[in-house]
Amino acid sequence: MRPRVKEWKFMLMRIRQNSLALAGLVIILAFVCIAVLAPVLAPPNPADAFKIPRDMEINVLTPNPTPPTMRHIFGTTDQQYDLYYACIWGTITAFRTGLTVVGVSLIIGLLMGTVAAYYGGLLDEALMRFTDIIIAFPGLVLAMALVIAFPATVPINISMIALIIFILAMLMLLAFHPSRKLLLVVWGLLLLSILSMFYFPVSFQIPLSRLDKVLIAITLVGWPGYTRVIRGEVLRVKNEDFVEASKASGSSDFGIVVRHIWPNTVYPLLIVATLDIGSIVLSAAALSFLGIGASPDYADWGQIIQRSSPWINRPTELVANFHTFVIPGIFITLFVMGWNLLGDALRDVLDPTLRRR
Amino acid sequence: MTSLTAYIVRRLLLLVLVVLGVTVLIFAITMLFPAEIRAYMYIRNVEQARPEAIPRVIQIYGLNDPFYVQYGRWLGNLLQGNLGWSYTSSQSVVEAISSRWVYTFQIVMFAAPIIIFVGIYLGVQSAIHRNGLIDHICRVLSIIGWSLPSFWLGLILISVFSGQLRWVSIGPLSQEGINHVANTALFTRYTGVSVFDGILNAITRADISQLGITLDALAHVVLPVIVIVTIDVALLIRVMRSSMLEALNKQYITTAKAKGLSKNVVIYKHARRNALIPVATLSGMLVAGLLGGLVITETVFAYGGLGAWAARAALSTDITAVLGYAILTAVIFVIANLIVDILYAYIDPRIRLD
Repeated sequence: MRPRVKEWKFMLMRIRQNSLALAGLVIILAFVCIAVLAPVLAPPNPADAFKIPRDMEINVLTPNPTPPTMRHIFGTTDQQYDLYYACIWGTITAFRTGLTVVGVSLIIGLLMGTVAAYYGGLLDEALMRFTDIIIAFPGLVLAMALVIAFPATVPINISMIALIIFILAMLMLLAFHPSRKLLLVVWGLLLLSILSMFYFPVSFQIPLSRLDKVLIAITLVGWPGYTRVIRGEVLRVKNEDFVEASKASGSSDFGIVVRHIWPNTVYPLLIVATLDIGSIVLSAAALSFLGIGASPDYADWGQIIQRSSPWINRPTELVANFHTFVIPGIFITLFVMGWNLLGDALRDVLDPTLRRR
Repeated sequence: MTSLTAYIVRRLLLLVLVVLGVTVLIFAITMLFPAEIRAYMYIRNVEQARPEAIPRVIQIYGLNDPFYVQYGRWLGNLLQGNLGWSYTSSQSVVEAISSRWVYTFQIVMFAAPIIIFVGIYLGVQSAIHRNGLIDHICRVLSIIGWSLPSFWLGLILISVFSGQLRWVSIGPLSQEGINHVANTALFTRYTGVSVFDGILNAITRADISQLGITLDALAHVVLPVIVIVTIDVALLIRVMRSSMLEALNKQYITTAKAKGLSKNVVIYKHARRNALIPVATLSGMLVAGLLGGLVITETVFAYGGLGAWAARAALSTDITAVLGYAILTAVIFVIANLIVDILYAYIDPRIRLD
């Protein structure tokens, strides 16, 4: 058996022995089931599956929330939005939020962190000082500022796309044919692309939904953390003997990075990413609660709790309508707890100091 | 130059760089808005807000100038303590911050020591009773606290303690308290922090009933502090636990045990002291970061501090207010970090060499 496969099998065995990890895994799998079965559990709204349907028949009689009944098993919020539907389809929103932000942050972090650590020098210094700046803000405050600053549509400049594609291509090229001269060329091209923006102002507008803004804001706030973790890991691994050996045997930088360095950074990343999914969903929910997250009829747990916030000044009404925030809150807490339990247990399972000797 | 001075100088230079970066970033975010919207940051009365007056505002304040010109002008204002005009609160950002920080301070004042002491205590207990009952309870509790949305916990506490039991109203003071404090004949605002002012008034006016304000303020700070502590103590427990476990595995602990020192001396004098280093750094960041977390908690409890103000400003796209708050939190965070780092470089010479 290949050592790497053996390693994963060993990890799975440790997870199975750890009751907290198992609990986390079960919770996450339950939510996966809810997300996959959402169209069956709550038939989608024909207009837009993520728009919460309203019960117009009750609406005529009363604008106030209705407690759980057979007709609406979780009850409805004010203006008769169906809570059950919101909770079920909110599961998909939560997975989308967590996985998108973590995925994009990981890709950015892997590219930036690897390049910074592997080549060092000015690029490394500049990148790290930039991450210092973003990490200096409390994440939620910066995300809040970004969400309200984003326009409803983003003008995408042609030269901007060219710039992004160019940088990615150059990073790859750089990895295949490593040379510090090429690194300088990248810097030159970066400057050139920025200059070209002034001469090719042709741009087209991409509409952003309110949830998109939240996702972009949280990603912009979160990627420096990943970059730092990955940089640290690459720095740790890059001077190991097996990397030196691989270099000596003539492997390309790209080969070394993909075959030796990244596989050795995967475990810390796995822990960080797992734990982060929970906190990302919490941040998105918090932004929704402040009223700057998902739009008011979007199936999102935080947004549905936000509907209860007008009653804060009249606590007796909060008690009378407690189902409108308690139920979606249980969904958020369990979802986040599932990822935290798994991530926490992974940390123990993968901790090299606790390994069999 | 000694290594400690060199360390401090290096850190100070870095601090200036980061703070400058923070201002560039904040200004770049402002520039995402078109000049017509940014004009509202300078408008201070209805007369100027007329649509036909906007181009004049843009012209006067040079809102179509190149980025670096506007940034230079803005930074100049910032250095003179001018963070701009917040139109939602109809006052300058600096005035708004200085009139509201006391409420935020009141929560942080109680929450921060509780978080630090409870976090360190439970973390140490968890580590020395590893895999025992205390450890399991601490770990489960910290994972629960870590997973709870703070606004949801706040809503539940409000509905139980204000709605059902009617023990305490929300906001910084009860209605009678607000009326009493507002009456200058009955009450003098010495510090702005109601807890202190109640005591000071009781002393200066020789009137024990003034302590009612202190008790009133304390009763109203309990629920927000519970929320903040529940959410934030989890992280500290975890870090303290792992740091303590690491310290307990060190060779100097074996040496200390071999010397025949008592268990308590080994745990508290040798292991805990060393384990506190990463925790101190984290505590500094945590306390500075409380400001960010307070955005939610103050909003839920209608507490009227800086966080609630920033959240309300964000809702009406009052960009000057939100960015002013962002700058404030970032600067506090950076300075708190610096102080903690310098203190620890002073205590622990190993850190200076990094």
